[in-house]
Amino acid sequence: MDALILLENTLNACVAGLVIGCIYGLMCVGLSLIFGIMRVVNFAQGDLLMLGAYAAFYLVVGWGVLAFLGPNTAPFVAAVLAGPIIFALGWVLHRFLLARVSGLRTAGSLDEGHFGQLIVTLGVALILQNGGQILFGSTPRAVTTPLSSSAWLIEIGIGDTTIFLNKARLIACLLSIAAVIGLWLLLDRTRLGRALRAAADNPTAATYMGIDVDRAHRIAFALGSGVTAIAGGLVATYLSFTPFMGLDFVVIMYAGVVLGGMGSLLGAFWGGVTIGFVQQFSALALPPQLQNAAIFVVFLLIVVLRPQGLFGRSADRA
Amino acid sequence: MLDITGLSVAYGGLRALSGVSLLVEEGQFVTVVGPNGAGKSTLFKAISGIVRPEAGGIRFAGEDLLARPAAARAHLGIAHVPEGRQVFKNLTVRENIEMGAYPEAGRQRWAETLERIHSLFPILAQRESQLAGTLSGGEQQMLAIARGLASAPRLLMLDEPSMGLAPAVADMIFDRISQIHREAGLTILLVEQRVAEALELADRGYVLETGRIVLEGPYQTLLSDDRVRRSYLGIGEED
Ligand SMILES: Nc1ncnc2c1ncn2[C@@H]1O[C@H](COP(=O)(O)OP(=O)(O)OP(=O)(O)O)[C@@H](O)[C@H]1O
Ligand SMILES: [Mg+2]
Repeated sequence: MDALILLENTLNACVAGLVIGCIYGLMCVGLSLIFGIMRVVNFAQGDLLMLGAYAAFYLVVGWGVLAFLGPNTAPFVAAVLAGPIIFALGWVLHRFLLARVSGLRTAGSLDEGHFGQLIVTLGVALILQNGGQILFGSTPRAVTTPLSSSAWLIEIGIGDTTIFLNKARLIACLLSIAAVIGLWLLLDRTRLGRALRAAADNPTAATYMGIDVDRAHRIAFALGSGVTAIAGGLVATYLSFTPFMGLDFVVIMYAGVVLGGMGSLLGAFWGGVTIGFVQQFSALALPPQLQNAAIFVVFLLIVVLRPQGLFGRSADRA
Repeated sequence: MLDITGLSVAYGGLRALSGVSLLVEEGQFVTVVGPNGAGKSTLFKAISGIVRPEAGGIRFAGEDLLARPAAARAHLGIAHVPEGRQVFKNLTVRENIEMGAYPEAGRQRWAETLERIHSLFPILAQRESQLAGTLSGGEQQMLAIARGLASAPRLLMLDEPSMGLAPAVADMIFDRISQIHREAGLTILLVEQRVAEALELADRGYVLETGRIVLEGPYQTLLSDDRVRRSYLGIGEED
């Protein structure tokens, strides 16, 4: 009998890990896109995620402009719309702040501008967190949907072993996968995507080809912000949050991106999925306070054993 | 077509070019030679807009280039094949050539230029889906030239295309460059350390030393100049 319970728990952890992991994967992809193309480590990524969650909250609950869609649909439409809203914010942030400390402007300098970037992105993170607290208040919010407390049950036919598929999370997972595929197609198949990759690969040569590297970086930063914000909107459908939620997720994002090999988009996605698994499995054995600790341990193991990431090729950048 | 007057460039306090004037007429093949550190690459970077001159003017096809941002210059018809190739290492050979065709003119003439590139450098057709970073040095140089041609440029600037190549490969590259010039009548500005070959190809040549033009003229004049013979061709020391 115990064996059956163990089987059920393990299977459910697998499924939940995969489902949650896809959402983590999406937020990781946003961070990885910014790092991969701009070579900027964005410490404010978790706070862009937070803004995505609040954007969804205001669309559905706060101002309620999407409320007419009903509680089953509105939260997910809002999460998707958080993308373009935070894209616009990312555009502005790059235009007025990041562009001053990154891109061709700092390409030849001694530290490649990393010091300035660190200060700016950390500063933006602090402003967003505390500004968020002033604007949104510190009451925990949620974009509730009845779907988050209902599940599809799948009997697998061994004893009465049942797999629970939370409906809200599954929809969030499918939307995440769709967003990652869309982004990947954009980068791999379009002229814009090629220009972004060329700008990442060799900014000087890209300029010789007629690519405006600063603009390419702006697009990358805005896209990365928007993608992570969609993940934030999706998280908001099953978790309550405050303006400081970014702090929890930034750990997940960094772990995922490093696992996947810095700068590789699909690697970052699989890194996020792996973190989802680690988190759900650790939930079987560890109290909830220690789940982030488990992520850190895996993270450290990877850094020690496979610094190029689980899924990354060894970096071949000059 | 390209008219540079009194161009000066400094890196911090260090003067790399002082008062350089240079003229390339439409359809001409012009060569700039000079020792290491003379400022040849700096001249190209100023034309491409990567470095900002402190004085002087650059006009291209009647336009004031200095009023244009760097990224706009390729769209005017300037192709820069940089020193050290600088191919996009993580992009495929095909994608590199497609990046070359980023400007409108390149896109419009894509089919025709691609065919031409493949007939000039058949190896690039075979290596189409290989990552450019895994090509040999010679192949990367061919790709860098192909990428430049893909923009259907009005002026092709080549910075030391023979650098680091085996003599046979370098000869082949020179052959192709002269073929491009002859067949398409393309205007070419070439920087080279292999002075004899470079000057032989050219209609006109300039000798650049420590940031100044010290000699200029048609190639016969340069080849018969004592200083050029002594310093660059290693002949005439005894006379
Ligand atoms: N980014 C830079 N910062 C500071 N000094 C530079 C920079 N780039 C070039 N220089 C200096 O400017 C001078 C001219 O350099 P440049 O690269 O134009 O020479 P070159 O003629 O192309 O030499 P080579 O034949 O070795 O390529 C050199 O003294 C070089 O040290
Ligand atoms: Mg040089």
